[in-house]
Formats: sequence, structure tokens, C-alpha cells
Amino acid sequence: MAHLEIDNLCASYGNTPVLKGISLDVEKSEVVSLIGPSGSGKSTLLRALVGVTKPTEGTVRIGETTVDYRSAASLRSVRDSMAIVFQQYNLFQNMTVMDNVTIAPIKIKKWNKAEVRKHAAELLERVGLSAKHNAYPDELSGGQQQRVAIARALCLRPQLLLLDEVTSALDPELVGEVLDTIRDLARDGMTMLIVSHEMGFVREVSSRIVMMDKGAVVEKGPPAQIFDAPEQERTRDFTARILSH
Amino acid sequence: MNYTFQFGEALKELPYLLGGAIVTLEIAFMAFWSGAILGLAGAYGLVYGPRWIKRSVGTYITFFTNTPSVVQIFFLFYALPEAGILLSSFTAVTLGLALNSAAYLAEIQRAGFLSVRQTEIDAAETLGMSRFQMLRYVIVPHIARTIYPPLSSFFIWLVLGSSIGALYGVEELTGRAINIATSNLRTIEIFLVTALIYVVLTLCASVSLGLVGRYFFRVKGGLLR
Repeated sequence: MAHLEIDNLCASYGNTPVLKGISLDVEKSEVVSLIGPSGSGKSTLLRALVGVTKPTEGTVRIGETTVDYRSAASLRSVRDSMAIVFQQYNLFQNMTVMDNVTIAPIKIKKWNKAEVRKHAAELLERVGLSAKHNAYPDELSGGQQQRVAIARALCLRPQLLLLDEVTSALDPELVGEVLDTIRDLARDGMTMLIVSHEMGFVREVSSRIVMMDKGAVVEKGPPAQIFDAPEQERTRDFTARILSH
Repeated sequence: MNYTFQFGEALKELPYLLGGAIVTLEIAFMAFWSGAILGLAGAYGLVYGPRWIKRSVGTYITFFTNTPSVVQIFFLFYALPEAGILLSSFTAVTLGLALNSAAYLAEIQRAGFLSVRQTEIDAAETLGMSRFQMLRYVIVPHIARTIYPPLSSFFIWLVLGSSIGALYGVEELTGRAINIATSNLRTIEIFLVTALIYVVLTLCASVSLGLVGRYFFRVKGGLLR
């Protein structure tokens, strides 16, 4: 049974439908990437999975449990198993790096403070920021902030990591350091659902790729299929345009 | 200029003047805190309230920020007795300044509410924070940090602005200075000393507010660089 099962998921902004029945499975330790033009619903799908945007229809199953997005308890358990990293890092500006990473496990989950801080220190070392424990977000570069955001997500020990265009807001020379961090996570078997426009990276890191357009899935398959032998005209158009840049 | 400065008279009255400085601080404190609380309610209404609340608060702010506080206090002091409400000059001045401050402090705090970033709210939500935890760890600290500097300057402004009380016979610093000057006619010396006391008051306030800001709200700049 799949680790994450999305079946016929729908969501809208006001009266505009943005997800029109998405179905998708993610197995454990798999890296699945969502690609497609802007406005195709990739980010909304991630936001809907964590309940920031409320799905209007469809079911999501994590392991054995079906998520009820209207129930606070169910939402809490979703957020226990999934962590999301946003395009704009979304760090708490009034907290140090260390506090950003540890606030949820310590204050919300009430985990043991010493252990959480130790884990956080390991994570920060892993993303190359051991010297920045006491820095504030506005003292860091975009790439550093994004790596803090990744450490913050990991500190909750999620089973699934959602990455929403995590390099799109970065200066080109800072993209590499963030992608390296993600590669490293993939190598360790972290299950991830990634939205990205970095096609070279997506191709290299993903086990499967999902092409989306206008709120629907156009095509799913391994990277070689999507990039070299797409079955759908729409996929061919999109990859051809992106790769010719 | 062949004026001979004689500070003897002025210095003799120093304890009396310093007593006035305490009254000045009392007025500023009371007007500031009541204005801040009223203003908080106003700001909340402006941001989250239904339309009629937004309109009423807006009208209040427009009225109080577009009329001189001297006129507002005149109204409290001379017009209210006609309606059977008698206020002491101290109460009228403090209340007048409080109502006036409420308008400005509502605007400052509204800016604070609006400065909370949706991105941080999203993050707090997905990290599993409840509404209360979000308020406590994210929203309130953020607002406090944003509005602290303008609030500090406003307090300083109130310390100086409370001198308006002299017009209504309140014996705060300026009022007492006028009292002495009219009896011993050493006006220049008295007001030099008075000005100096104001400078010391506001400098002390700036430095201590700056220290609080630096250590609690991570505010940079001000007098402490």
C-alpha cells in the first residue's frame, strides 16, 4: 500500500477551481516531482495536502489513515507526518535560527528540550549552518534562510517532506546549496513531493515525475519518459519549451 | 545684551519644578496607557471589525487627528460642565490627551496588525500551532517589534505635549514654571532650567525605552547605536 494516496482531490480559490480531481500515490522513500506551467495547481496541491488551502472534495490517505480536513485533530495528525517548506522560506522573523527550528517540537509537541536542541544542532550542521544558531533570519542570505526552513521541517521528524518551489525566490548562485541539501535528503531515503522549475535537478533526483496543467494531471512517469519520450502532446510542449531555455 | 543672569531664584525653586516634572510624567503615562488600550480596540476594529465599526473608528480618528488637542481639551473643560459633567483641570487634560492619543495609537497599532506576514501564519499553521500558540509565539511578538519604535516616539511626544496643561492651570512642569516666573520675574532663567529638565526627562525616557527595545524587541537605532 502506498505511503501517501491522493484520490480525486479538488480545491478552489473562491469560485475558481484550481485542482480538478488529482489522483497520485507516493511510495515510501520515493521522490516525486510535480512540474507544469505556472497556475497549473502544483503549489496548491501541496498546500491542500497540509490543509492550508482546504480541499473541497476527494480523499487523502497517509499510511492507513484517511485525513479529514475539517477536523482539527485529523489536521494535527497530518501535520505530524508531513512537513512543508515554502518558496518564501516563511521563517519567523522574531526568532533566532535555533528557535525557528526548535519551537514546534519543544513548544507544541512538548518533546524533550535537550534532545530536540541536539537534533536541531545536527540538522543545522547537515545543512551547513552550525555557525548560525543565534542569527536572526534577516541576517542570513536567501539560501541560508531556505536551508534553515528545511532544517525546521526536518526537526519534526516528518515521514513526508513537501517542497514548494524552494529555489524559485533565490539568487541563481544560491540555488546550488539548497539543491545539494535536497539531494542529500533523497540519498538518505527521505520521502519527498517536490514542486520545482529546476528541470535538470528534477530529472536527476526524482523517481517519478507528474506533469500538471490547468489543475489536472496530464501525465505521470519516470524522468526518462517525461523528458525523452512523453506520451502527451502537452508534456512535450512544456518540456521542449523549458529545456530550450 | 546687558542682561545679568541670576539663577539663584530658579535653583531655589528646583524642588517645586521637579514636583511639576512628576505631574508631567503622570499625565504622559496615564494618557499614553489609556490611549494605547483604546487605540488597540480601535485598531482591532479597523482591521477585523464589520463595516460600521470601521466607519465609526475612521470618523473618530479623522476628527481627533484633524483638530488641535487644545480645542479638544477646551471642549472637555468648558463644554462638559454645561451638561453637568465637571472635570478637574488635571482630569480634563489627561482625558483629552488620552482621547487624542487613542486616535494616533490606533493608527500605529493598525500598522502593526497589517505587518504580520501571511507567510509566517502559514508556517505556524503547518507546524501545528493552535490559534493561541500562533498569537503568543508569532503574531504578538511580531506586532510588538513593529510598533515599539513609533510607540516610544509617541510617548516622548506626550511628555512634551502635556505642557498644554499649563493653559488650563494644571501644575505640571510648564504650569509651575509660569507660576514662578510671574511672581519673581526671572522668566529667562526659570524657562532655561525648565527646558533643561524637559531635556533630561526625554533623554532618560529615550535611553531607557531604547534599552528595552534593544533587549526585548531587537530594535536597532535610536539614541543607542
